[in-house]
Amino acid sequence: MSGHAKVERNLLVFAAWATSGFSALAFFLEGLARDSYLLSLAGVALVVVTFAIHIVINAVSDCGFSAGEATLGIGAFGVLALVFIAAWLDGGLTAVDYWSGLTLFGVLVCGFLLYLSTRHGLRGAFSRFHFKPAESGNEPR
Amino acid sequence: MSSISESVWFPLCSLLYIAVMLHWVRVSARMNAGDGGFFSAAHSLAPWLSALVIAGASLAAWFVLGAGGAISDDGFSMPVYLVGGVLVALPGIVFFKRVWFAAERLRVSSQAEIFRAYFQSPFLVAVVALVAVLFAIGFSGLQIRAFASIASVLSGGALSPLVASTVFGFVLFAGVGIGGMRALGYFGFIQAALVFCAIVALAGFALSWSGGFAALNANLYQLAMSPENARFFSVDGIIRFTGGLGRGGDAATSHTAIANLSLAFALMGFQASPLVLKVVLSTRSPNGFAAGQTWVTAGFFGALIIFAIAIAGLAGLLDPALRLVPLLDAMQVSSPWFAAWIFIGIGAGVQLLAGLSLFVAGETLVRHLYKPYFNAALGQRATITLTRVVIAVLTVAALVMQNLTPVTVSALAGLALPAAFQLWVPMLGVTWLGWITRPAAVIGVGFGLAGVVLTEPLGYQLLSFLGLELPWGRWPWTIHSAVWGMAANVTAVLIISAITNRNALCEEAREVRKLYATLLASGGEARRFRAFAWSAVLAWFFLAVGPGLIFGNTAFTGGDSAAPVWLLGMPSLWAWALAAWILGVGLAWFLSYKMEMASPVTVEIPPYEPPPRLRPDQSRAERERLGILVITGAVSFALVVLIAFSFGG
Repeated sequence: MSGHAKVERNLLVFAAWATSGFSALAFFLEGLARDSYLLSLAGVALVVVTFAIHIVINAVSDCGFSAGEATLGIGAFGVLALVFIAAWLDGGLTAVDYWSGLTLFGVLVCGFLLYLSTRHGLRGAFSRFHFKPAESGNEPR
Repeated sequence: MSSISESVWFPLCSLLYIAVMLHWVRVSARMNAGDGGFFSAAHSLAPWLSALVIAGASLAAWFVLGAGGAISDDGFSMPVYLVGGVLVALPGIVFFKRVWFAAERLRVSSQAEIFRAYFQSPFLVAVVALVAVLFAIGFSGLQIRAFASIASVLSGGALSPLVASTVFGFVLFAGVGIGGMRALGYFGFIQAALVFCAIVALAGFALSWSGGFAALNANLYQLAMSPENARFFSVDGIIRFTGGLGRGGDAATSHTAIANLSLAFALMGFQASPLVLKVVLSTRSPNGFAAGQTWVTAGFFGALIIFAIAIAGLAGLLDPALRLVPLLDAMQVSSPWFAAWIFIGIGAGVQLLAGLSLFVAGETLVRHLYKPYFNAALGQRATITLTRVVIAVLTVAALVMQNLTPVTVSALAGLALPAAFQLWVPMLGVTWLGWITRPAAVIGVGFGLAGVVLTEPLGYQLLSFLGLELPWGRWPWTIHSAVWGMAANVTAVLIISAITNRNALCEEAREVRKLYATLLASGGEARRFRAFAWSAVLAWFFLAVGPGLIFGNTAFTGGDSAAPVWLLGMPSLWAWALAAWILGVGLAWFLSYKMEMASPVTVEIPPYEPPPRLRPDQSRAERERLGILVITGAVSFALVVLIAFSFGG
């Protein structure tokens, strides 16, 4: 990908997350604040829409998620999961909060696996995680 | 949620926004180092990116802050705002394609350079610089002021407007001064997307808190039934021959059809301004102009105005608690994440416009005025450094003035759009009307600016200071200063073009005309539709923003006058503006594609090679020019002081 094409692809990704992604977050938080599962669900739906936009941008630009994007995404997922578990252990979650969180994480995990399987095939998706020692570079050639 | 979340989201979003901006500034600065694209992004901005940036800069922030407030104040008596998307798109359709080709042929990248090459006129370059400075200090300063007030409210008073605007000034300079035009283009795209979302979210909250669309219209109906509120729902006649505001003209009865029409022309000045043309001439291909002007500006942003901004404004008309600032303040308590996001979106729109205007003002002053006329030996690196210094000085001037002298900023802001509208004539000379001669264009713009200044508060106050009281006030006969200026401008141009040699074109101008006559010659279909196109444009202007607006007062109203019925469930003028917007998008499509005024053309434009000329040492001439400038300035100052001391106050 040329320098300009890469920059333009990154701009589109930034714009998508700044608009659709942030509105997803805002709707999700609004749902938690108002104890409304419907609003949280709208937030989750918007997360899915934003990921779809991101994948479309990747397809148009003929590339995948960059290493930085994948790291940021998995890191954010981990932090959110930790916060959710901590809040659950603390006992401060209402039923709507609880189901909203589970819906979000469930959709994210399912979406992630679906993306990997459609992009790399079921076997290929498994191979993304299963590194053989020879591939890791630890074994002498 | 707790009060912590109220106070956390606003600074958190602001910091995130600044971080993202700095990232794109860094990307831009690194790319600039490779190809020297500080001033024009090396003409590499993608057409789709430019389309969004142009639409965002043209409409978004000042329509949220200005038009939304005007609708809250005056209801539908100025429906010209509601079709703003179409109005702002039309000049781009007329100019962008041809000016892009002319610039590509001459290898220039700004309006000032186009005028210098085509008309060879330092005066027009100076006018371009003046217009850019008016936008940078007046037009943008006014919006920064409004934005800083919102920031102060959202921070619960922790940030004063002065501090908020100072922080905003640093952010502005970081964005523009470091990254230049490329940063404006790249981050401008994200800013345009943000401000669009902010407008939608704002309208969503305003509608939700008004009880929904039906309830909003029911409340409007109730408001309209009271005789003292009738002025909110009608255009006040065609024209009123008053002396203007401040001279017997009454603000409440000045919203006539002619006031709407003349304001429409002022709005159309924006896309003939050096700001927008800077983005146009930094674009790598002209193939996005038709789609950008038709679907993005007229269609998409037009829809945003007629639905979202109208709804937000009308909610404020019905309930002052739902005006922009109180609404955001209330949201800060109930939904701080949305309040912060909308605030960032509006700020992004203000930054886009202010950044662009500061950059263009800095570039024009240094690269198009100082360097060619006073210091030709200035190198590329020194030019960039000096431009950065000038941008910083202009930023500080804008911040100081909008905090200390808000009345002056308002007066300067009032001049920006009508002054830019005066550039229509030389732009038409470059693009379409080859018979406009150099002296005609120069004198026409001079007369035009005089016409604008003499019908605006700034001219009124300046002359009053010198002891001369004008017999008219602001906008005599309810006609906006843009049209008074244009009347003087066109009259001078017609007379002077008739008595000067129309064939006395410089070589660059002849090259441009040759280009139009060959590569951009209209096709047979466009020529066949020419009469129809003229008729369609005139009819649209007459009905959508002209005298025909008075039909809109009652066109969609049935029943008797005691108990009128809104046939479409909304005020008649709103429905009328909706129809005008739909027809306007059709008109934009017709002009862009069928009339080929902005349609895509894929041809290679070879650069114009000027004949080799001797370059004599300019330093002596430059010193003389500087001397003349200093002496003229000193004599003018002395004369002003003398006149003011003798006659004025």
